[in-house]
Amino acid sequence: METFIQLTINGLSNGAILALAALGFVLIYKATGVINFAQGEFLLIAGFVIWFMLVEVGSPWFVGVGVAIVVAIALGLVIERVILRPMVGQPVISVIMVTIGLSAVLGAIVQIIWGTRPRAFPEFIPAGSVELFGATVPENRLWAIGIVAVALAGFTTFYSRSREGIAMRAVADDQQAALAQGISLRRTFALAWALAGVSAVFGGALVTNLVGVSGAISSFGLLVFPVVIVGGLDSVGGAVAGGAIIGLLSSYTGGYVGGGLETVIPYMALLAILLVRPYGLFGQTRIERV
Amino acid sequence: MAAATGIHHTTYGADLALRHTRAEHARLALMLVALVALPFLVSPYWLTIVNQIGIAVIGAIGLNILVGFTGQISLGQGGFLAVGAYTSGLLAARSGFPFPLDMAAAVLVTAVIGTLFGLPALRLKGLYLAIATLASQQIILWVVTHWDAVTGGTSALVVPPAVLLGWQINGDMSWYWVIAALATLATLAATNLMRTGMGRAFVAIRDHDVAAEVIGVDPFRYKMLAFFVASAFVGLAGALTARYNLIVTWERFTFDVSILYLAMIIVGGLGSISGAIYGAAFMIAVPAWIEDLSRNLSGLAFLQPDMPAIQQLIFGATIVLFLVFEPRGLARVWQRVQEYFRLWPFR
Amino acid sequence: MSSKWIRTTAAAAAIVLAGSITACGSDDTSSGGSGSDQTVKVGGIFDLSGATADVGTPYADGIKGFVKDYDRQGDGPKIELTSEDYKYDVAVAERLYSRLKSDGVVAIQGWGTGDTEALRVKITADRLPFMSASYAETLTKPSDTPFNFVVATSYSDQMRIALKWIDEQSSGAQVASFHHDSPFGESPQKAGAQTAKQLHLGFQSYAMPAEATDYVPQLRRAQSQGAKFVVIQNVATPAAQLAKNIAEQKLDMKVVCLNWCGDELFVDLAGKAAAGTVGVMPWAPASVKADGLAQPRTYLSKSGGSLDKQGLHYVQGWYTMALMAEGIKRAAGKGKVTGESIKQALEQMDAFDTGGVSAPVDFTATSHAGMKGSKLYVVKDGKWSALTKLENAS
Repeated sequence: METFIQLTINGLSNGAILALAALGFVLIYKATGVINFAQGEFLLIAGFVIWFMLVEVGSPWFVGVGVAIVVAIALGLVIERVILRPMVGQPVISVIMVTIGLSAVLGAIVQIIWGTRPRAFPEFIPAGSVELFGATVPENRLWAIGIVAVALAGFTTFYSRSREGIAMRAVADDQQAALAQGISLRRTFALAWALAGVSAVFGGALVTNLVGVSGAISSFGLLVFPVVIVGGLDSVGGAVAGGAIIGLLSSYTGGYVGGGLETVIPYMALLAILLVRPYGLFGQTRIERV
Repeated sequence: MAAATGIHHTTYGADLALRHTRAEHARLALMLVALVALPFLVSPYWLTIVNQIGIAVIGAIGLNILVGFTGQISLGQGGFLAVGAYTSGLLAARSGFPFPLDMAAAVLVTAVIGTLFGLPALRLKGLYLAIATLASQQIILWVVTHWDAVTGGTSALVVPPAVLLGWQINGDMSWYWVIAALATLATLAATNLMRTGMGRAFVAIRDHDVAAEVIGVDPFRYKMLAFFVASAFVGLAGALTARYNLIVTWERFTFDVSILYLAMIIVGGLGSISGAIYGAAFMIAVPAWIEDLSRNLSGLAFLQPDMPAIQQLIFGATIVLFLVFEPRGLARVWQRVQEYFRLWPFR
Repeated sequence: MSSKWIRTTAAAAAIVLAGSITACGSDDTSSGGSGSDQTVKVGGIFDLSGATADVGTPYADGIKGFVKDYDRQGDGPKIELTSEDYKYDVAVAERLYSRLKSDGVVAIQGWGTGDTEALRVKITADRLPFMSASYAETLTKPSDTPFNFVVATSYSDQMRIALKWIDEQSSGAQVASFHHDSPFGESPQKAGAQTAKQLHLGFQSYAMPAEATDYVPQLRRAQSQGAKFVVIQNVATPAAQLAKNIAEQKLDMKVVCLNWCGDELFVDLAGKAAAGTVGVMPWAPASVKADGLAQPRTYLSKSGGSLDKQGLHYVQGWYTMALMAEGIKRAAGKGKVTGESIKQALEQMDAFDTGGVSAPVDFTATSHAGMKGSKLYVVKDGKWSALTKLENAS
């Protein structure tokens, strides 16, 4: 029983972090219909900027996070202006390819600036552990859950209440119709990329806090796909549920079965869920049986 | 389709023909000469690259049938290549299948497995399908690395050299003829397939699946067929990888390979057989060129430590800039060049 | 439909032809020469920007550094090292191999499991000695892989040494063997299970899934096994994560690193959790005293670098190249330097002394397992320091 509780808490907290990392994908997909393969590099850049500010410059953590947010927004805007705006109206798959090229470029820039050596993430998120229902839970996990809850609540409110958020949903639904309503596609796209950058700062900080700041972070993007899909691509709440499901699945498999099965179980679950509910558990249903 | 000025087709047969004019027949002859002359003109190093491109062309054509012609996005290419490679390698190494037979078996097995993993396509579209195929990539690779009894697990699978009717195919020169022949056949087969009813059904599904069903195209049947045919090509490419390199290791078929192939057909041009060829050549030859370039820059010592990153930067930027200026790929660029010269110097 | 496939093939040929023309200029087919005033070409296939670039870069720097230092001293034939980055992409490694071959290299310095496994058939056919930092036991038998030289203690032997040490600390203890979920990680597991049986230790393997945010579920199973020792066959980043998880979970388990986990990076990343970690490390870390460290240290400080920054993998690359250079020197003394003659020289020469950096390296015609033993180190005050003298695997 103790093991079960431990695995559950562990799976949930991992799921929360994955959900936050997944949020960046959802934000961009919702507004532009593009899978952003460079999202992993966004996490990487955020991790390195925070590390650089805290360790090399020696600033307090909130300054570091602030600078990372500014960098992320600037990066999102520049990418939108220079690369994605000329691609408006082009086939989505070409845009996806552009993000693959972009991920190579960003990865290379990070390597030119900071090299290939992984760095330990500065400890501003408290380490140590607490006992909870007989399970040992690291404090940073509790913080992660808290940060994720706040961030997701923020984004959900943004989508349902703010003018920009609603505009973004309109664009996601139908670009032509949104244009006809007087919504600026450019503005919306720019906003989506900037917000994806911001979410990557939180996601990047949490992931690098656990695994260190290194190029390996960029492949966390892959792990995030099942999360987004299980939850449904166009739902923020879905990303949370997807994160929890995938987190719990790999936690239980790792804790009870093992043998490396924990890497494929999420994908098998993914296939099973997709066969039953083709648009994820919380995605907007648009089933056409053809 | 657009033919040169002054050519009017009076029968369907003429309209569907691959070649219309004498000039086009002459070009075909020239092409064949170039293909035969090629291995004698390039350095041994570039012959390796040509062979790698040839194998990639077959795989990219397969992927383009699926993605470009039928509109079913696949991120599972690496996994399907692995199925082809391991089937062929295992049959050759363990069961002693004679050379072309193991490849034929690999083609068949990959086609069947590809179809199985294509089943979600019946209910999924677009991104959801892409992720489902990503799942197939992960699952296949997991099986390959964990099913020790079959794949040899921890150690790599060593494949005996191929012998065709007493001729031992060894080295880049011998393999060139095999690969060039198979790549040409694959190109021909795909081009011909696309002008049959099946090919048109694929395109109909891509353009609008509901409309396709209304005009009598059975989406179930044709989506499965698309996965079957495409995976057959990919299986052949995988089998060639195994026999050409004489060894199969799982690290040859990672997710990066799936992305690389997707990049090939997008950069080359989706829904174009020639696009698959340009794309394969581009994605393999350009990094080699960039390497050559950086070798020539070796005098700039201060750049040396960053050279690998700079190479990656140039490569990524090439893809980005290229697609920003021509989102429809190399095939479209080539078409524009042709059109320009057709009217030159009058425009 | 116009003649699509003709254009297609024509374009492909044009692209390829254009490529070959640019490539021709750099073609130089002069082969490795004879005599000590000759230049011997050695190829390098490294990972400087791929998945393992974090440790691949210092390793490659060590090899390059040694060659520069060696050529400056002018003792023996000059070595010309041509190296490229393969980004841990096996297809690129195959291509680069062909390039090095047409450059006329007589031996190759490789890097990891990816390139070593992919090229082992080709280097055998082309008779080119190949050294790399992939220490799988399957590569040590000259009857199977006559041109692969496994310079350091094989992963399996490292595992045996680790288990022997564990047995000495607490006999009958339960050992959890955590490893990378791949053939690289699996490589020493069989040897581990066998040795544990002989020593009456409990032994269970646990695969570490890639891209995991933690290893708590796996640790949970190790806990119910009753494991007191955790042996890690994985690279530093995930290994440090595992060590941190053990500390966070307040588990009473001692970490024993095999060589890819045991380095300075692990100590940096794991921080406080690294304290007390034991490492079976064939190559000495830069923080201990060994005569053999002086040479790379002096070279680096002269050229504006620092051994403490570069770390253990620099030393590893340095001495792997030193060993190959010694083989080349001896081959040159006997006549023409070819892959074959380097192989013979390496097999015939006496044990190569690295000045305490590692066990002496000795190849024979029947065994290409260079080192039979390894020293053990322990993390103390945030640094690796010596724990035992040389321990042998058998």
